[in-house]
Amino acid sequence: MTDVTQSNQTDSSPTRSIWPAVWRWLQDSPIQPVAWPLLAILLLLPVVFRDAYLHRLLAASLLFGAQAMVFDFTGGYINAVNFGFAAFVGLGAYTSGLLAVNAGISPWIGMPAGALAAGLVGFITGALTLRLRGVYVSIMAWFVGLALMAVTYAMVGLTRGAQGINVPYLLETPDTLPYYYILLGMTVVIYVVLRLVIHSRVGLAFKAIGQNFEAARASGVDPTRYKLINFTLSCACAGLLGGFYAHFVGVLTPGMMVTDNTIEVMALSYIGGTGTLLGGLVTAFLITPLFDYLKGLMEIRLIIYGMLLILTMILYPAGLDGLFQWLVGRIKGRQKQG
Amino acid sequence: MNLTVLWNLLVTGILRGGLYALMAGGLALLFGVMNICNFAHGELFVVGAYVAYFAYVTFGLPPLLAILIAAGASFLVGALLEKSLILPLRRRSKGEWIMNTFLLTSGLSVVMQNTAQRVWGVRYRGITQYWAGTIRITPTMSVAVDRAVAFLIAVVGITGFWLFLRRTNVGRAIRAVSQNETGAMLVGIDLDNIQTLTFALGSMLAGLGGASMLSLIPAYPFAGGKPNITSWFVVTVVGLGNVGGSIVGGFIVGLVESFAFFYLGSGWQDVFSLGVIILILLVKPSGLFGSEVKGVLER
Amino acid sequence: MLEVSQLQASYGPLQVIWGVSLHVEQGEFVALIGPNGAGKTTTLRAIMGLVKPLSGTIAFNGQTLNGLKANQITRKGISFVTEDLDLFDGMTVHDNLILGGFSLHDRAQVEGTLESVYDLFPILAERHRQLAGTLSGGERKMLAIGRGLMLSPSLILVDEPSLGLAPKLVLAVFEALKQLHERGSTILLVEQNVYTTLHMTNRAYVLENGQVVMEGPSSDLLRNEHLQRTYISMGAAGEGGFPAPADGGGPAL
Repeated sequence: MTDVTQSNQTDSSPTRSIWPAVWRWLQDSPIQPVAWPLLAILLLLPVVFRDAYLHRLLAASLLFGAQAMVFDFTGGYINAVNFGFAAFVGLGAYTSGLLAVNAGISPWIGMPAGALAAGLVGFITGALTLRLRGVYVSIMAWFVGLALMAVTYAMVGLTRGAQGINVPYLLETPDTLPYYYILLGMTVVIYVVLRLVIHSRVGLAFKAIGQNFEAARASGVDPTRYKLINFTLSCACAGLLGGFYAHFVGVLTPGMMVTDNTIEVMALSYIGGTGTLLGGLVTAFLITPLFDYLKGLMEIRLIIYGMLLILTMILYPAGLDGLFQWLVGRIKGRQKQG
Repeated sequence: MNLTVLWNLLVTGILRGGLYALMAGGLALLFGVMNICNFAHGELFVVGAYVAYFAYVTFGLPPLLAILIAAGASFLVGALLEKSLILPLRRRSKGEWIMNTFLLTSGLSVVMQNTAQRVWGVRYRGITQYWAGTIRITPTMSVAVDRAVAFLIAVVGITGFWLFLRRTNVGRAIRAVSQNETGAMLVGIDLDNIQTLTFALGSMLAGLGGASMLSLIPAYPFAGGKPNITSWFVVTVVGLGNVGGSIVGGFIVGLVESFAFFYLGSGWQDVFSLGVIILILLVKPSGLFGSEVKGVLER
Repeated sequence: MLEVSQLQASYGPLQVIWGVSLHVEQGEFVALIGPNGAGKTTTLRAIMGLVKPLSGTIAFNGQTLNGLKANQITRKGISFVTEDLDLFDGMTVHDNLILGGFSLHDRAQVEGTLESVYDLFPILAERHRQLAGTLSGGERKMLAIGRGLMLSPSLILVDEPSLGLAPKLVLAVFEALKQLHERGSTILLVEQNVYTTLHMTNRAYVLENGQVVMEGPSSDLLRNEHLQRTYISMGAAGEGGFPAPADGGGPAL
């Protein structure tokens, strides 16, 4: 805020000058400027539209969107596509769910425990593969994911295998709205943490040098270490969201870890635009309700996701965010002309 | 363990090994020549299985012809996919090529699986056998003719593929592209054509697998999942892009899987496989027979 | 035969060729000499379609080569032996040579050319089953030239064959090129080894900072004062070629 007052004093026309300064502050802070109006919309939407069905849709969209955001944190920033993502979500969900069912531990402790478990497995996976070429991480994470799913199916005594388990709900109320706000809170916290890492000295340095390992060695940044922090954190967040999912939906089956679910989240994040965090989140709010309204589309949902992913890869790698930036650029250009 | 059980495990293992060798060989070829990680490799297996089923059951063609048609169809589908998806991606993408191919083909895999489900439903389209009868070796040890021929087809496919790569001019051109693209262009090789051909060949090997194993794995939309996972497992274990190693590795994995299944049961067998791969990546990240030619470590 | 006019091209983001014109006629042995970074390699790469020219035309036997891909230009009958050689290291000497004739469909012709290449480089015949990656530096050069000859090209472009070779091997490679020319090949040679090059070739172009600063019969250039002063005396005295030009030259290629 000091920036704002300073520029007020120096500028000759104080009534107009505050906005550039605010804009600059917004640009410099780890929080992307777009995040503020987005948060306002997400806070207000359920208040404006008081409809239980819509609230469920919003919660579902947010759950997908938050996953896409967490996925993009590795996919878009360190170019490590976590191909076992759904299994990490599932690991968090099962950890929290089983703790609640078998040990009567509160979901509020279970969810962080789920994050811890997923983070630990993510750390091991990353430590083994992140020094290798990018695709090894993906393949390895995929195998880890498949193994997690296999274990969940196989440990019938604990998980009841394919039958699945019933998990206590997080809240007493059947109303979706409180869940939505809790999830929104979690998403905001995750977002801020991820942005802080991206905006940290090491994060910025990593972005500047990219995958150029010569430059990295010269600048003293250890890219593998940064990637490991990133990957572990992303897996932990996936686990946290999984824990929420467990006590929100109330039923867990090993099928939630299947690769198709990873591809769905991956498609969201790539369609939204990689390296943006919010692109996938916004896309989830556009696509999830669409599928729900048009039941016919629901059945070919994966075909559409797959096609959109292919089209994004081939035709427009920048994704929706690229489209958005282009529009913003156009509007700004207009204003300057006018 | 008695001899009959051992024999059966060996037969199953070698038969499956033949399939994995076919598929992993194709997958390794795609990586070695084009630097492509094809996640939709299993879907080409499904294409082969469906075409063989329709040719053999619906149109009543002789088994061998049905299998050949299926292989040809997979070849064509592969060529089509390369021209329509991979080529535009290559024109478009800068850097991160390998990862982009992985993402693109994973989208493709989902599209193909679910389209097949919409068109043909989830119903299994299998056959009990192409060829009747069993070959008896001792009173307790025998092999179904069908299995033996399927294995023979796999072996012929692999050998033919190998000879093609080693002995023909086009095969040499494929290897040339994998070793030095500039050099390949400078002797007059058209990279686009070779890449389309390579993708089509890799697809054909997967399709041949799907067609010849129809009695073991029926055609259904998600039939490619397991073969895809296993062939990926094989190429990662031996080292990405190593065609010869993948063929050997395919047989090893087939055998190991057969025994692991017997001792551990289906669920834990996957866990066991994962343990193996973690160990290998710990000791030798480039894979068992991995070469450093393409570079495994980040540069 | 080869007609390059007003060629401009860049190496990466930097423009290094500023309007180069040159021509090579049937049966000639022409040299393109100049200091490091003068744009010699980029000129060759532009002719072969490996670098897209910014402007200018390249014609071969009256047909324009602009816009063609390297493999198409090769099929017109131009071989390019690059600085990096671009051999297929995982294949045998024999397979490398056979691939050199990839675009020819006459098997008998390929077999015949193979014999004459083995005749020119007996060491290759000796090692024909060895992998290219296991050859010594000199043998690799010979294999690369041999592979280029397998096309029975009407024109051969050779980029810095002396690079990284011991003096004795340099002489051997030059001797081979001279023989090639005597057998009727047309050659455009890029070299830094000015003295030897000028003794061997018919004509030469001197390239400095992306422009042709001098051209003429090699024997005339040998007596040229500017060349005498800056390059040749040095070249005759030692192994070497060009000292760095006074202005520091262009970017290192």
